[in-house]
Amino acid sequence: MNEFETTAPDSGLRRSQLYRTQQQGGAEFASLNGATVVKQFAADDAQQLKSLAMVDLSMLPRSGFKGRQAPEWLTRQGVEIPAEPNRATRQQDGSLVASLSVQEHLILSDLQITAGKPQQLENDWQMDADTACYALPRSDSHAWLLLTGEHLRDMLAKVCGIDFAAEEFANHQVAQTSVARLNSILIRDDVQLADGSTVLAFHLLCDVSSVEFMWDCLQDAMDEFGGKPAGLAALLA
Amino acid sequence: MKILNCPLNGPRNISEFIYGGELHEMPDPNRCDSREWVEHVYFHENAAGIVREWWCHSATSYWFLAERNTITDEIIRTFPASEVFNQRVEFTAVEGE
Amino acid sequence: MPFGLLKYGLSKDYPAQHHFTPSSTELKKHYDVVIIGAGGHGAACAYYLSKYHGVKNIAVLDKGYLGGGNTARNTAVIRSNYLTEEGVSFYRDSVKLYQNLSNEFGYNIMMENRGQLTLAHSDAAVRSFRWRAEVNQHLGVRSELVDRQTIRELVPNLNMPEDGRYPIMAGLWHADGATARHDAVAWGYMKGACERGVELHQLTEVEDVLISNGRVTGVKTNRGTINCGSVVQAVAGTSSVVAKMAGIKLPVHSFPLQAMVTQPYKPLLTPHVSSPHVHVYVHQTSRGEFVIGGGSDPYPLYNTRSTLDMKESLAAAALELFPFLSQARLMRQWAGITDMTPDYSPIMGLSPVENYYLDAGWGTWGFKATPICGQTMAELVATGKPPELIKPFELERFYRHQQINEAGATAASH
Ligand SMILES: Cc1cc2nc3c(=O)[nH]c(=O)nc-3n(C[C@H](O)[C@H](O)[C@H](O)COP(=O)(O)OP(=O)(O)OC[C@H]3O[C@@H](n4cnc5c(N)ncnc54)[C@H](O)[C@@H]3O)c2cc1C
Repeated sequence: MNEFETTAPDSGLRRSQLYRTQQQGGAEFASLNGATVVKQFAADDAQQLKSLAMVDLSMLPRSGFKGRQAPEWLTRQGVEIPAEPNRATRQQDGSLVASLSVQEHLILSDLQITAGKPQQLENDWQMDADTACYALPRSDSHAWLLLTGEHLRDMLAKVCGIDFAAEEFANHQVAQTSVARLNSILIRDDVQLADGSTVLAFHLLCDVSSVEFMWDCLQDAMDEFGGKPAGLAALLA
Repeated sequence: MKILNCPLNGPRNISEFIYGGELHEMPDPNRCDSREWVEHVYFHENAAGIVREWWCHSATSYWFLAERNTITDEIIRTFPASEVFNQRVEFTAVEGE
Repeated sequence: MPFGLLKYGLSKDYPAQHHFTPSSTELKKHYDVVIIGAGGHGAACAYYLSKYHGVKNIAVLDKGYLGGGNTARNTAVIRSNYLTEEGVSFYRDSVKLYQNLSNEFGYNIMMENRGQLTLAHSDAAVRSFRWRAEVNQHLGVRSELVDRQTIRELVPNLNMPEDGRYPIMAGLWHADGATARHDAVAWGYMKGACERGVELHQLTEVEDVLISNGRVTGVKTNRGTINCGSVVQAVAGTSSVVAKMAGIKLPVHSFPLQAMVTQPYKPLLTPHVSSPHVHVYVHQTSRGEFVIGGGSDPYPLYNTRSTLDMKESLAAAALELFPFLSQARLMRQWAGITDMTPDYSPIMGLSPVENYYLDAGWGTWGFKATPICGQTMAELVATGKPPELIKPFELERFYRHQQINEAGATAASH
């Protein structure tokens, strides 16, 4: 499921809104899980993840549910819901569930795309007049970027008003806020790299129609710290 | 920048919020006359002093209430709308009109 | 010249007579007309009443000073390129009165006819400009759609990248656009009114409006109660507060509007340039300062503080149009409280209270209307009948669902 396949970049059934921007940036594309993704930007992508990088995860599965009874319904499906809003909880299968409010939840795939939850929940959900739980699919509405690296806090400070200092903003805390003047969801979810080290990381989800603007703004904010885009391969290695 | 405390998201720059108008009671749409309805839609108290009003946190589309002093530019208190609205508001159209 | 000054100083002409009522003057028990608010609007109404309608027993009351409200704070843009027939006709007549105002007063209001250019950054804006130009020309206002080349000729130092985020696609050129010295307008009107017997009472705050049998009978002030035949309220930002004293609720929300100026430069920019899309307008005064204004504050407030947010966003937008201002120093930033209506048109005319007249809802656009509003309101007060030109702007229009939508033609707030 999570194997890269080398195909012509334009042969995939789905590709990211950022495809052309990435193409201009010299990306090497591959097919993953039926979609065209950036496999690699440069040979030192892995190193880049440690200092400061952004990775486009928009082709990975994700979903959402909302409604007065969404928490009950999700619990019945075996989802472990965070104790309070603006927190995220890692599920047993590796997916991540974030509470955006008491009645709204976002489900993100794990980076290896082995978790079944996001897809399974979407399949199992049915419109039901008696249950106030509504599907809120996020794959087409939101772009998804992963930001990583030790300079991440300095970079975010340039585009966002929230204090992300370690003692203020713990792992799996969520901020729904303005990033580069665009409404965004930020979820701190530190990642383990191939060499075993753990690095500070945030998921950033924003309106898909503005993601090229967001990408440019983040690139601009990263420049002074040597930040660059990276491909998925270094992350999955 | 001025900070507003969102009941859901905590203290945030006021630029993350949208002002949503005065909190006032809606007249019964089936009983009030056209003039009352016009006043409900367009007219405002616009008071100088402490007011109760709607605000929306735009990143979460979360609507809540605030008490604010429109003379001193101080936000006194913010609270969830459920403090005031603890029952579902039903709209029933009058038949045959 | 210094000798001339010395001679004048020693002559019996010095000190010159008061322009306005001396502050020591007592309030009388009764006036035919009380005007609340000595801004441009209140002063103009008193002027036309006393000069053209023979009504002279008038008190103009202000809680502060003559012309110290929005009249002192506006960016002095005068134009008539609005969208609706009612709006264009009204503002057109105001611009005409402005053209002759210095002569009318014998007092220089420093009218400068430098034209106004509004920029379109989208197809939708181009369409609406074409519409406005048609309406304007039909009603005798000089207004035309212009292309990029013409814009370049009108404003050679405007930044016009083809690949910008908001490329400039076309413009609405309004040759009748102008500016004038805002203080001089209030002074000119008040001087003319006082010469004809009108009394100006500064530091005189109206605290209540007295009504009997649905008819106004007087006002209570911090200096005592006075009786009167009729009242005009012309208080801009505090319109709702004063109207409430008369038991009237208005479709008004009061928002601060901020503006700022740079240090003076040699003449670089002739017309007034406005961009509703990036929310900024810029012109250079005859003193050389660049005046920068834009949208209202994001929430209602009765407080004229300035904010860093607004300084930042105005500066960012102004630099988008005129990058050469990047080294300019700001000298002042300020705010006024603007009485915004839902349709961006004023409220003039009769009120639910007999003989109580409304001159309100001027929001961010009322300086340009000062002469015509004064003239028509004076006619209303003198005859009790609203002149045709302002009839559509009465408060009743909201109840009839006949709003006069000028939101699009007012987007950059001036
Ligand atoms: C920053 C800014 C820029 C603007 N730019 C433009 C522009 O470019 N072009 C344009 O056409 N318009 C502009 N405007 C709008 C314009 O300034 C106003 O619409 C206009 O000045 C209103 O005039 P006025 O005489 O009605 O009110 P004001 O000049 O505000 O006078 C009202 C007076 O009423 C007095 N008052 C209030 N309450 C009481 C009371 N209870 N008792 C006694 N007196 C009272 C106040 O002290 C004040 O002096 C701008 C406004 C601002 C704030």
